[in-house]
Amino acid sequence: MPVAQLELVHEVAATAQPGMRVPARVYADDELWEQIGHDRSLAQLKNVATLPGVTGAVYGMPDMHEGYGFPVGGVAAMRLADGVISPGGVGYDINCGVRLLASVLGAARIQAKLHDLVHEISRSVPSGAGRGGRLALSEGELDRVLAEGCRYLVERDLALAEELEVIEAYGCLAGANPGAVSARAKARGHDQLGTIGSGNHFVEVQVVDEVCDAAVAQVLGLAAGQVTVLIHTGSRGLGHQVCTDYVRLMDEVMPGYGITLPDRQLACAPFGSLEGRQYFGAMCAAANFAWSNRQVITQRVRETFRRFFGADGALRTVYDVAHNMAKVEQHGGERLCVHRKGATRAFGPAHPETPEPYRAVGQPVFIPGSMGTASYVLVGTDEALDLSFGSCCHGAGRRMSRHAAKRTKPGHEVRRELEAQGIVVACPSSGELAEEAPFAYKDVERVVNVVHRAGLARKVARLRPLGVVKG
Amino acid sequence: MKPSVELVEHPGEVRLRLRAGTLGELAMVAGRALAELELGQSPGPARGPWREVVVSGRDREAALVHWLNELIYLAETERWVGVEFTVSRATETELGMRVRGVVVDEAPARVKAATFHGLRIAAVPDGVEADVVLDV
Repeated sequence: MPVAQLELVHEVAATAQPGMRVPARVYADDELWEQIGHDRSLAQLKNVATLPGVTGAVYGMPDMHEGYGFPVGGVAAMRLADGVISPGGVGYDINCGVRLLASVLGAARIQAKLHDLVHEISRSVPSGAGRGGRLALSEGELDRVLAEGCRYLVERDLALAEELEVIEAYGCLAGANPGAVSARAKARGHDQLGTIGSGNHFVEVQVVDEVCDAAVAQVLGLAAGQVTVLIHTGSRGLGHQVCTDYVRLMDEVMPGYGITLPDRQLACAPFGSLEGRQYFGAMCAAANFAWSNRQVITQRVRETFRRFFGADGALRTVYDVAHNMAKVEQHGGERLCVHRKGATRAFGPAHPETPEPYRAVGQPVFIPGSMGTASYVLVGTDEALDLSFGSCCHGAGRRMSRHAAKRTKPGHEVRRELEAQGIVVACPSSGELAEEAPFAYKDVERVVNVVHRAGLARKVARLRPLGVVKG
Repeated sequence: MKPSVELVEHPGEVRLRLRAGTLGELAMVAGRALAELELGQSPGPARGPWREVVVSGRDREAALVHWLNELIYLAETERWVGVEFTVSRATETELGMRVRGVVVDEAPARVKAATFHGLRIAAVPDGVEADVVLDV
């Protein structure tokens, strides 16, 4: 490992805790490492290192913070032959992810209409936790979304055929099994396609504030001053119910497989077992639902932009990347099930799964900051395969609990401060606005710089928020 | 023991510390705490008939998680939030609860799941205490 990277790698030996099968490696500078020490995320990462079949090392990204079971910002790969799959290693919001859209508009062109534009987007893209959306699906239609993902939406005129190649896995995981998704999960999700949800989910209108690598930015079609839209959401109630169903199932069958764990939320089953295969099929189906959700939102935002700006309001998908997922991938000549929980795939130019338009530069990676701070566009690197199973962090990472954030500053003050920066905010709940306030998150610049310096991904451009629609 | 609930700091999520005299009362106080989180305020009076909700798990901890997840599911799919509870039976593996609730205009599923993370039920003087982390 190059010396420049060593100062950013904190390694915990496999002998540090009984039961650990591999070491734990965390990418962080001194300040982020100190922040990571404030919660239980490192202990959680060490617990992950005890899972059967885990190989190489388990990795903590610079934004790592405490989750349940797995830490958020955690990566672990299990051998297919003797390893497990863990719903907790994927998370409740299966394929929570980020899509970036690029316009041809400059920021000056939208400024006069920004307030109306943001509020119109908030009307056309429902937010809030359980709210249904505008695209209610029949049972048969929902099964097609689960099986075919965005491919089905091309048929429904809700996606462009040419944009599939700039969605991770073409917006459809082949292993999807709608039959493994419970009726309960389908009941929760059937009217949620096209909705943001709550928590830290958002649709953000932004401007390219700084270009860090002009050559790569050009390949991605990004330039300073350009208006972009970032969509952050996932599989909604459907994904949550899939996780709930399978954590429960695996908690019940684990004793039969002789698996004991330091944390029940790590509940798992052998990848090749009936339960493991069922979960994988259901998870892939939920992932297809999530890509479809971001796709339908994309269409709603496109319609809104066209109403405001005519043909100039066209929006092109730059890329769509997942950050809660377990995928079967080839690493070092072996097929592994790579769990990324609050972590993004970051494949370099040489990887066969890097989409054709980006083969010269690497797969795009997006690291959203908090409301009021910047988000970053990066590209994956070939060396990340050796550093982190081709993974990178997914955001700035929380540093403060939701309650602490609300205590620190009320929502109306957060709203006023954002508006004072010229950021238009559409959020139905001041309480939730306070929970997602910028001070509740780690410094995104610091996180991104660690990613860049460690070689997990390379910085391309910085995006500054102009308007936020928050779930 | 007087039933009580306390919100404990947890980065990103909500951790409930519940105290009650019995397992059944613990389920009742958990249900009420969930209703307050879902509705964002103290729930109003329940309306409509009582309904029976029965859940089981491999131990009492699992049964408590499944109970909360059942309420979360009903809130999101039926726009119905349970606010009044009585205990039909509470064993080491099963909870049978009678519930009355309120119907709301919009599904109030701010809480998305109850988790097994850090889950614990322990005997304390005069009753039981539990920690449950909720995904919000």
